[in-house]
Amino acid sequence: MSARATRRTAITGIGVVAPNGTDTGTYWKSVKEGLFVLDRITREGCGHLPLRVAGEVRGFDPSALIEETFLVQTDRFSHYAMAAAGAALKEAGLSDAAADSPYSVGVVTAAGSGGGEFGQRELQRLWGQGSRFVGPYQSIAWFYAASTGQISIRGGFKGPCGVVASDEAGGLDAVAHAARTVGRGTDVVVVGAAEAPLAPYSMVCQLGYPELSTAEDPARAYRPFTPAACGFVPAEGGAVLVVEDEDRARGRDAAVRAVVAGHAATFTGASRWDRSREGLAHAIRGALDEAGCAPEEIDVVFADAMGVPEADRAEALALADALGPHGTRVPVTAPKTGIGRSYCGAPVLDVVAAVMAMEHGQVPPTPNVFDVCHDIDLVTSTARPAELRTALVLSRGLMGSNAALVLRRDPGTAAPHDKENTHEQ
Amino acid sequence: MSSEVTLEELAALMKKAAGVTVDPQDLAARADTPFAEFGLDSLGLLGIVGELENGHGRALPTDAERCRTPRDFLDLVNSTLTAGA
Repeated sequence: MSARATRRTAITGIGVVAPNGTDTGTYWKSVKEGLFVLDRITREGCGHLPLRVAGEVRGFDPSALIEETFLVQTDRFSHYAMAAAGAALKEAGLSDAAADSPYSVGVVTAAGSGGGEFGQRELQRLWGQGSRFVGPYQSIAWFYAASTGQISIRGGFKGPCGVVASDEAGGLDAVAHAARTVGRGTDVVVVGAAEAPLAPYSMVCQLGYPELSTAEDPARAYRPFTPAACGFVPAEGGAVLVVEDEDRARGRDAAVRAVVAGHAATFTGASRWDRSREGLAHAIRGALDEAGCAPEEIDVVFADAMGVPEADRAEALALADALGPHGTRVPVTAPKTGIGRSYCGAPVLDVVAAVMAMEHGQVPPTPNVFDVCHDIDLVTSTARPAELRTALVLSRGLMGSNAALVLRRDPGTAAPHDKENTHEQ
Repeated sequence: MSSEVTLEELAALMKKAAGVTVDPQDLAARADTPFAEFGLDSLGLLGIVGELENGHGRALPTDAERCRTPRDFLDLVNSTLTAGA
C-alpha cells in the first residue's frame, strides 16, 4: 500500500473453498482442530507422475453453485474462485451490490498459474483432432486472469479490476492492491485467489521445482520447521474476501471482521532461500511501519512454512530480525501443513484463518508438525487460547517474492501506544 | 447426416457448446430474439459454428458467427448446407 489513505479497508465477507472445507465455517473448524487432510492424489491421469501427495478439494459440486453458462467456459480454478466470491458477497450482504451502483465494486485476484486442466483438454483436441476442434472458450479459460473477469461478469461489477501475478505471495499483494483501490475511492473490492494445480499438465509443470515434495506418505510429505522437512505439497482451492471502506461498512451496519492495516513486499530471487531472510524481514518491517504497529503488538504469526530446511531457517531468522526478542516469543502457526499450499490461494486462506483466529481468540495448531528445530514458538497439536488483536501473515513464492500483511481485529479500541506510532493523518 | 439444421439441433448445440438451456419450442417462438437474450455470447456462437462445421465436414460463411438471431443463423447455415447438397 502507498501512503496511508484516510479510508481504511475492512474485511466484511469471507468465502472459502479448501481441501479441509468448502465453506468458511467448516474451514475454520478444521483449522482450529488441526485436521490433517493431505492424501494421495486421485485426479484422473495423474497416477503415473512422481508427485503423489497433495491437498485435494473433494465433495465440491460447482453445478450446485454456479450457472452452467459460466461453468462450460471456465476451468476448475475459476469455479473455486466464483464459488468463494459468491459466498463472500452473500456473507457481506452484497450479493446484489451491482444493482445499485456497478461501478462501486471492483475485483482483484492473484494467480500463480491458470486453467491447466481446461487448457490440456483443448490442446489434446488440437494435436489429436485438429485446430477446428479447439473450442473458442480456450481463448479465455486457461488465462490466469480468467477468475477476475468471470467474477466481475457474473456479479455485474464494473469498478476497477485487476490481476496480480507476483508469485505465491501475490495472494497477499492482491489484498493490498484491493486496499489501495478502496483507498482511492472504490467502495467495495472482491479480492482473493484460488488455484487448481492438480491435473496432469499442471503437475508436470510443477515437477521441476526443487522444493516440491515427492514423498509417498502423506504423513511425511510436508513437515516444515522440523528436521524431516522435505519440501512442500501443493493444494487446490483458495479464498475470496469482500473488502470495503470501513466507514461505509459501519454505515450500513455490516460486521467488520478485521481491518487490513499494513503490507509490504520484496523480491529476492528464485530458490534463493538464504536471501529470503533479509527479504522477508524487510517486508515485515514495511508492513508494521505502514500499520503503525510495534513488533510487540503482533499477537500471532501465520508463517509461510515452505518446508525446505534453508527456507524454514530463513523464515525463523527473519522473524527474529524484524521482531527482535518478540520474534521468538510470539505464537507462530502454519495451518497449511494440514491442507498443503494452494499457491496464491494459500496466503489468502491464511488471512481467513487469521481473521477467524482473532474472532475466536484461538491460535490454531500446525497439523502433523511436532519436533520443531528452529527458535520460534510454533503452536502444535491443539489450538492455543489467546487474546488476539493483531495478526501478521507471511508468504513467499518459489520465484522469489516475499510479502507480509498486518491485520487488526478491532481498530476502534486501539491502545494509546498504537496512536503514537501511527502515521495516519 | 441430414443437411438441414433444425431448431431442436440448435437448442442442443446451445446447451453443449455454451451451457445455455433453452426449450426448442421457446427458441421457435422467439426466433427473432437476439442470441444475447438467451444468454449466448459471441464465443458461444463461434463454438456452435465449429460444431456444425466439424459435424457436416464443411466450412460455413464467416458471417455465421455474426448472426444476431436464431432465424438469421439457421437461414444462413441451411442455405449454405443445402446449396452444396
